[in-house]
Amino acid sequence: MTSIAEHQNDVRLRPPSLRVERRAIGWWMLRNAIACGIPLAALVVAANIWEPARAWLAAPVVAVALILVVKVAIEPWWRFRVHRWEITERASYAQSGWLVVERRVAPTSRIQTVDAVRGPLEQAFGLSTLRVTTASSYGAIAIRGLDRRTAEDAAARLTVVAELSEGDAT
Amino acid sequence: MSEASTTDVPWQRLSVRVIWVDIVVSVLSLSPGAVAIWGFGVEPSLDALWPLAIVAAVGVTGAVGDIIRWAFTTYRVTAVDIERRTGLFVKQHRTLRRERVRSVDTAAKLRHRLAGLRVVTVGAGQQTGSGESALVLDALARADAVALRERLLADPDPDPVSISDPASASDPASVPAGADPATRGEDVEVFATFKPWWVVYNMFSIWAYLMAAGLSWGAFWLASSFGVDLFGFVTRLTDWGALGWVGIVLIALVVAGVIGAIGLGVNFLLGYWNFELARVRTSSRSYLRTRRGLLSTREVNRDESRMRGMSIGEPLLWRWMGMADTNVITTGLSVWDPEEPTAILPRGPISVARKVARDVFGDADPMSVPLTRHPRAALRRRLWWATVVSAIAPLALTVPAIAGVVPVWLPWATLGLWPIALGAAVIAYRSLGHAIAGDHLVVRSGLFSRTTAALRRDAVSTIAIRQSVLQRRLGLSTVSAMTAAGWSAYEAPDMPDSAALTFAADAAPGVLDEFVEGGVAVERGFAVERG
Repeated sequence: MTSIAEHQNDVRLRPPSLRVERRAIGWWMLRNAIACGIPLAALVVAANIWEPARAWLAAPVVAVALILVVKVAIEPWWRFRVHRWEITERASYAQSGWLVVERRVAPTSRIQTVDAVRGPLEQAFGLSTLRVTTASSYGAIAIRGLDRRTAEDAAARLTVVAELSEGDAT
Repeated sequence: MSEASTTDVPWQRLSVRVIWVDIVVSVLSLSPGAVAIWGFGVEPSLDALWPLAIVAAVGVTGAVGDIIRWAFTTYRVTAVDIERRTGLFVKQHRTLRRERVRSVDTAAKLRHRLAGLRVVTVGAGQQTGSGESALVLDALARADAVALRERLLADPDPDPVSISDPASASDPASVPAGADPATRGEDVEVFATFKPWWVVYNMFSIWAYLMAAGLSWGAFWLASSFGVDLFGFVTRLTDWGALGWVGIVLIALVVAGVIGAIGLGVNFLLGYWNFELARVRTSSRSYLRTRRGLLSTREVNRDESRMRGMSIGEPLLWRWMGMADTNVITTGLSVWDPEEPTAILPRGPISVARKVARDVFGDADPMSVPLTRHPRAALRRRLWWATVVSAIAPLALTVPAIAGVVPVWLPWATLGLWPIALGAAVIAYRSLGHAIAGDHLVVRSGLFSRTTAALRRDAVSTIAIRQSVLQRRLGLSTVSAMTAAGWSAYEAPDMPDSAALTFAADAAPGVLDEFVEGGVAVERGFAVERG
């Protein structure tokens, strides 16, 4: 700690060492296409049926269409470059996001639960999300886009390590 | 449960006086109707009396339900647990480990006080924000409630001779415990007491209008049940048509504001009369205790070993008069509770809040540490966002304006919000600050309520550094310290990149060490340090 403070001008936080699966790009594309496609379709249908509202719906339709293109064509590739993770004996470390990049570190001694979660879309891609929660309701670390096997192994290993620590982790 | 000593403890009922209170409540809830019919000669029809009929129905069903609840509720305190069984159709058996008890509240509404009853709420280390208290006993006789509180707040295995340390008792700041035998072995140090003029700080709030609406509506239907037409009375007061709608709106705002402010003031005086904040030390633990209330009383004991820090909020509109909200950051007390168990002071002058912070923290008071200001780039980011947000309404209205759906001046008029947004950006920027002070990290931010929060560094369970595309261009990062207590996350927005890493590393000592490396190389994409 003091060493960081003393040499603050030439230190940096290195990114986590491991990348997520390349398949995650496809998963993000599909997820975003569904999430933006439904409201876009609803807006277009509404504009077709309800003539007086067309003037009001023009701007939202253009905006949602643009968002759809960005989220399908750009966001998944961008995310793939950003998302990284690393789990050591002492801490879990993840980097995620695209427009807003966030790095989270949770010490192993504060971990309360470790889960490998798989939603229906993730299952189709053989992916899994590793969720590490601490006592803070905002403090959870979610590592998305891991191979199913990798996530389960990491969860099992982390559970063993975390059980070594005593106390109620608050 | 297998131990003989545990199973021997008999189950106890809640105080039988709960039933008497319920019977009285039923009778009282029927009385307005009776008075209206026999006293005022109102015709006993549902049309005239429906509000009073609702009062009676709610009162009687509530009381009957309460009697049923009483009949099916038992509790006991064993050597290790506190248990409660309740429920008529859905049986509920809740067990709480005594060692996990973090706070014990005793509260009493007026009816409880008249009957000598107290509602005891036992809080454990449950997730804050879940909005649920661990265990409520509604209600016990006053003596039983005091005894239960003493027992739960004492050590799990009490020492037979638990007399307070004579050294701390002779401390000049400490006030000797009163003659109350219940406070034996306690060392009480009073930090703040009620000042009636604090009512000024609690009368002016946007809630005044809600209060006024509630009061007026209540008065209106109550009066109408007794055959008095309040609406007609107000209509006849003056010639409203001559005033025009601007005049009517102004008068309504002023009158409602005055009614609401008086309502809030009375509410404050009733709720906080006899307020006292004190530190209570037993042989091994210490608590921050608040007592308050004129008719309804409430006492909250907060285990100081569960305290993770403190926050002082200064609302924007009243900053000129030094108004402050003081809360402790602690586990086991919900920040969503309308009774505000985390507030150790009522809304009042900031000087008192600062003094209490000094008393609670002692010499190493993190609240008095000068904070490091954030760079000008943070202001630039806020100005950009204010501009972008202000642009949404004019842009969204452009097409309707061209199509003739809305008047052409409307998109231009919404541009008037831009200067206001820019002003807000400056105010928000000026409240930013951060520091590391001893065992605590201190962060300050907020537009509508400038909040200074001091959080114990060993309570940080996750640390996060966040950077948006715009922040990266400006060389800024936001550091969040997550914790189990209080609002769960405390943020230092828009720190310079270099300071962000240092602050994050100091906020959670040792956690980041293995991910930090020396050198001036800058990685594309996320550079915490710009060489």
